[in-house]
Amino acid sequence: MTLADDRIADVAGLQGQLESAGYIAEASLAATLLLTLDLERPLLVEGDAGVGKTEIAKAFATARGARLIRLQCYEGLDVHAAMYEWNYQRQLLAIKLLEQDDRPLAEKEKDIFSETYLLKRPLLEAISCDEPPVLLIDEVDRADEAFEAYLLELLSDFQISIPELGTVDAITKPLVIITSNGTRELSDALRRRCLYQFIEYPDFAKELAIVNIKVPQAEEQLARQVVAFVQQIRRMELQKIPGVAETLDWTAALLRMGITVINDEGSERIIDTLGALIKTREDRTGFTPDVVARIAATC
Amino acid sequence: MLTVADLERSNVGTVLLTRIAGFTSFLHANGYGVSAADSVDIVNAATQTGVVDQAILRWNLKSLLCNRYEEWQRFDALFDTYFLPPNIKVFIQGDAAIGKPEVPTGQKDSSAYESANDTEHELVDETRAARYAASREENLSSTDFSELDQADQARKVEALMRRLARHLKHLKLRREARSPRGRRLDLQSTIRQSVSTGGTPLRFAWKTRRRVRPRLVLLLDVSRSMNAYSFFYLRLARALCNELKDVHCFIFHTGITEVGDALRDPDPWRAQERLNVLAAGWAGGTRIGECLQDFNRDQGSRLVHSRTGVIIVSDGYDTGETSVLADALGTLRRRARRVVWLNPLLNQPDFTPVAQGMRAAMPYLDLLAPGGDLAAIERVLPKLIESLQ
Repeated sequence: MTLADDRIADVAGLQGQLESAGYIAEASLAATLLLTLDLERPLLVEGDAGVGKTEIAKAFATARGARLIRLQCYEGLDVHAAMYEWNYQRQLLAIKLLEQDDRPLAEKEKDIFSETYLLKRPLLEAISCDEPPVLLIDEVDRADEAFEAYLLELLSDFQISIPELGTVDAITKPLVIITSNGTRELSDALRRRCLYQFIEYPDFAKELAIVNIKVPQAEEQLARQVVAFVQQIRRMELQKIPGVAETLDWTAALLRMGITVINDEGSERIIDTLGALIKTREDRTGFTPDVVARIAATC
Repeated sequence: MLTVADLERSNVGTVLLTRIAGFTSFLHANGYGVSAADSVDIVNAATQTGVVDQAILRWNLKSLLCNRYEEWQRFDALFDTYFLPPNIKVFIQGDAAIGKPEVPTGQKDSSAYESANDTEHELVDETRAARYAASREENLSSTDFSELDQADQARKVEALMRRLARHLKHLKLRREARSPRGRRLDLQSTIRQSVSTGGTPLRFAWKTRRRVRPRLVLLLDVSRSMNAYSFFYLRLARALCNELKDVHCFIFHTGITEVGDALRDPDPWRAQERLNVLAAGWAGGTRIGECLQDFNRDQGSRLVHSRTGVIIVSDGYDTGETSVLADALGTLRRRARRVVWLNPLLNQPDFTPVAQGMRAAMPYLDLLAPGGDLAAIERVLPKLIESLQ
């Protein structure tokens, strides 16, 4: 066995693990995930909304039996929400209780600023785990640039300094997966630090595999038709292109309505379920019974 | 930097590793943002995973060396060009949509591809040039900038811009910072201060929403179709430049030029002289898309950040490709906080955005507003400020 053969086996193995965790990954994605483990570098995942960026982290955590710690970014996210905060209420109480205490002042103060009163937020949590967790930093483009710079510092040193406590070093390095929807251009520094993976909309075979694994109740024929239908819709000019999650929702909706086959006769009933797939009013107006029947006929 | 020692430590063939390390400079030549540090990384990756398998090497290098989607798309073709033996030509020509890879000297098979592609480019350019010959010409006759100093309107413009500047100075962020007169209690520093009074919070600390200093970038269309409005907008720009520090002003027609310094010149005569020099091409044709593309490339990363409001003033009559305009605006939109388009023609009641450029631009705009005269600008001001918030 050569080094390369080992690697190919590893990649296939990880693919299998991800699949049993409910995620269909291409070999290239599995290879990149292995590389992030080897190099201990964060992975930046980009792609359109609904292609399964967040799912990668969840499935990867399940596959490795690691904890998933998630930090959802939003505009105005700051250090207190992302790293740590002191539990003021408890501290206030403690100050009052300690008034009767005879210990010297320095000791009391040490007590008040001890880890008991520290509220760990996702980033601090992630570096103080005993087992390396998977840290998912979701939609980093929603946070502002100041936070990005802060994140960069954490990702290069894996330590957080808390003025009252000192520096907290990572016990184990978390495996970091960062997702971005591209609503804002990320800084070059962050991009340079990370490995990069772009996720496209899945092709027919991959999406079929996803439907099969996620909605096993759906008959093979229906699954094929659903995927063919969605694949065709994605080529149309829509404001909001349906993602994988929409495909799954729609399959569930069809099953719920008792529709087991898509054909041009049942287009009226199919239209009733399209709300699971088409999410804006402008897009919805384009789907008249004729259009749906025409697409259904080709599936 | 990659050293000989790095190479020797690895158990993979040195020749092969040097070749892999050379791939970074190849990508660099093709416009990738890779650095010397990356070659160390890829050699590390290669020694850890073995380089014998082509697919794994490709995936590893792809995730290591790509930094954005545009690079991700081009990577496979470049990888094939660099690593695969002589069938290169077939590979690249098969996919015409992919950017033209720049091939280093010593790659014999690539020359044919390059020259073939070049002639194709020239052909396209020629036909396009013929079609737009009339309006693509730059207007070289000098423009009379003395109009810039008409006193009657100038005062009103200055007053209005002062008002805009004042509003902009009052924009607030959602995030909070300490302040002596705040609206919310800052528990953290209240407790800190209470240490000196034995834990009883006697003095309160407050926090309030932080001020934001938005940067404004003005892009003024001074092509022939905008002739009637150009001076008016330039006057606005000058007044704004005098009120606010972080304003950057550009004029564009067939090319794009920064005029901020000239506008700020306190001596009106010298300002006119400087504008005369800068305004070669004033009232000529328009290539909005290409101008924005130039702007993105040369100024974008320097000037436009997430607190930047970009204000484009143009009628949207574009002689360039609309797809170029759409792409450039998309890029600008992702970088900037807001993109506002003022269109003087929008004042007319029966206006529909028929100009091709305008239609291509619509999806990327946060605000499309009329702005033909002072009254229109005044009406649109609240909306403008709101959209910059």
